[in-house]
Amino acid sequence: MAFLLRRLAFYLAAFIAAATINFFLPRLMPGDPIKMMFASAGSELSLDNLNALKLTFGFIDAPIGEQYLAYLKSVFTGDLGRSIKYFPLPVSDLLGRALIWTVGLVGAATLVSFALGTFLGVMAAWRRGTRFDTVVSLASIFSSSVPAVVVSLITLFVFGYTLGWFPNGYAADPMLDPSWNWGYISSVLYHGTLPMLTMVVVLTGGFAVTMRNNMINLLGEDYIVMGRAKGLSDKGVMLWYAARNALLPTVSALAIALGAVLGGSLVTEVVFNYPGMGNTLYQAILARDYPVIQGALLIMTAAMLIANFIVDLSYVLLDPRLKRA
Amino acid sequence: MSLLTQLLHNRKALVGVTILVIVILVAVFAPMLTEYSPTQRVGRPHQPPSADHWLGTTRLGYDVFTRLLYGARVSLAVGFGAGLLITVIGTVLGIIAGYKGGVVDEIITFLTNMILVIPNLPLLLVLAAFIGQASPLVIAIILGFTSWAWGVRVTRSETLSVRQRDFVKSAQMLGEPSWRIMAFEIFPNLISIVGINFIGSVIFAVITEATLEFLGLGDPNTVSWGIMLYNAQNASALSVGAWWEILTPCVALAVLGLGLALINFAIDEIANPRLRTGGMLARWTGLVRRGEGQL
Repeated sequence: MAFLLRRLAFYLAAFIAAATINFFLPRLMPGDPIKMMFASAGSELSLDNLNALKLTFGFIDAPIGEQYLAYLKSVFTGDLGRSIKYFPLPVSDLLGRALIWTVGLVGAATLVSFALGTFLGVMAAWRRGTRFDTVVSLASIFSSSVPAVVVSLITLFVFGYTLGWFPNGYAADPMLDPSWNWGYISSVLYHGTLPMLTMVVVLTGGFAVTMRNNMINLLGEDYIVMGRAKGLSDKGVMLWYAARNALLPTVSALAIALGAVLGGSLVTEVVFNYPGMGNTLYQAILARDYPVIQGALLIMTAAMLIANFIVDLSYVLLDPRLKRA
Repeated sequence: MSLLTQLLHNRKALVGVTILVIVILVAVFAPMLTEYSPTQRVGRPHQPPSADHWLGTTRLGYDVFTRLLYGARVSLAVGFGAGLLITVIGTVLGIIAGYKGGVVDEIITFLTNMILVIPNLPLLLVLAAFIGQASPLVIAIILGFTSWAWGVRVTRSETLSVRQRDFVKSAQMLGEPSWRIMAFEIFPNLISIVGINFIGSVIFAVITEATLEFLGLGDPNTVSWGIMLYNAQNASALSVGAWWEILTPCVALAVLGLGLALINFAIDEIANPRLRTGGMLARWTGLVRRGEGQL
């Protein structure tokens, strides 16, 4: 329990730190969003109108310290301001919509690649030195070293453009209305296949290598020999003696990998024009949409923290020693 | 010394080093390998590969093969520059945190954990956007100063275990200053970790630079693989069927990444002999299994 409380305190501190970075970064960005917004319209605004607009967007004329406090307060009350590009849409609405897509895509891709990678790693370690091991190792090295951009582009080229098996963009058929019927859901699955496939290719290798190396290190331990000496079945020793212990470091590697998962998802979303958080952040940066940039970074950090906390929880379940600590 | 000979005896390392050497040679001798300039129109737009243009031309009529050769320079420079910066910061902070302990350790560990939970690429994206049309040098510097956290974590935990060894204790007894213990007693024992961290950081830097440039946050006048991807995407190379324009930098990045990863894997195997699973071990395992009557 103390372990989890300590982690929670840390996450709170990390969240405030992220909010602080968030507050200062966009303020250092070049270009005034209000001016940029109306630059294209070609008309000059009067100062009064400009100030009124600034107020609407939450850019209050106050010392930076006051602005900061106001920002922190609004963050903790869930008010992230309004988008400049899609005025007057609140940022929380815009990002909330995007978040659903990203959580679905990232969540599914992470689960599949973690399960697949761990399984392949265990099998490769158990049969180390065989052809199976060589193939898995090489494939894993390849998958963990090739940029997500490259995998995304090649997947899009082969399956999207050349073979034409899958659509080249969007999360669902734009002609359909979102609803819980089979037509819409199948369209979502169909559109999600390529982005998902891309992410699984990018992520699986890392998990497989970590698991394989942990597992091999453990296979020399006495309790493995003991298990075999007791005459337990191969599968029993592999799964309940070796794999269970090798899983611990893999799970903590998962916590660190989550940042990379979000990064990979960003690239994939941009390439496949998938309406998730990454793509929204990217579009917001291109449009200098400060409130959306701030909100996106913040929500992504929050998502990372929550995911890390879930990993912590599973760690307690996997390692009973932590319960007593 | 023995590390080098071991590296050369490892097949993965051999392939990896060969790839890396080829890319380095290509980057160095780029002007001799092609007659064209990477920034001049030398043909009609979107020509498919031919004898004149081995990998075709871009929409602006640049020679893709020439840009590939010259682009290797930027990828390598950013990769190794940023990789070095990441490794130096990570190693120094990691050893200090692990050796000094106490408040220093607390502060460094807290900062490290903090950076690890803020998603890296989105943060880099915002930083690069703030700088605007970042040159490769700027990208390398941002990467160096934002991505050292993983290195600190690994180096620190390894330092913690090395610190307990007898030779460190005796150095302390002899009254060696702590900087000397850290630099000459502890650091040499971490060399494989530092090597893995370095190569890993180079891979990361090469990938991330290309990604940032692909997303349009780099300086579009640079000749680099990332900018090639960006231009190809802008020219809708995929939908007009100019596959050579987009696949060339893709393959280059994949091959360089693979080469570096193979080296990394080999260092890991040499530092940790249990991971070595060459032919010898397979034969040995086979013998054991047959002895057990399981094969």
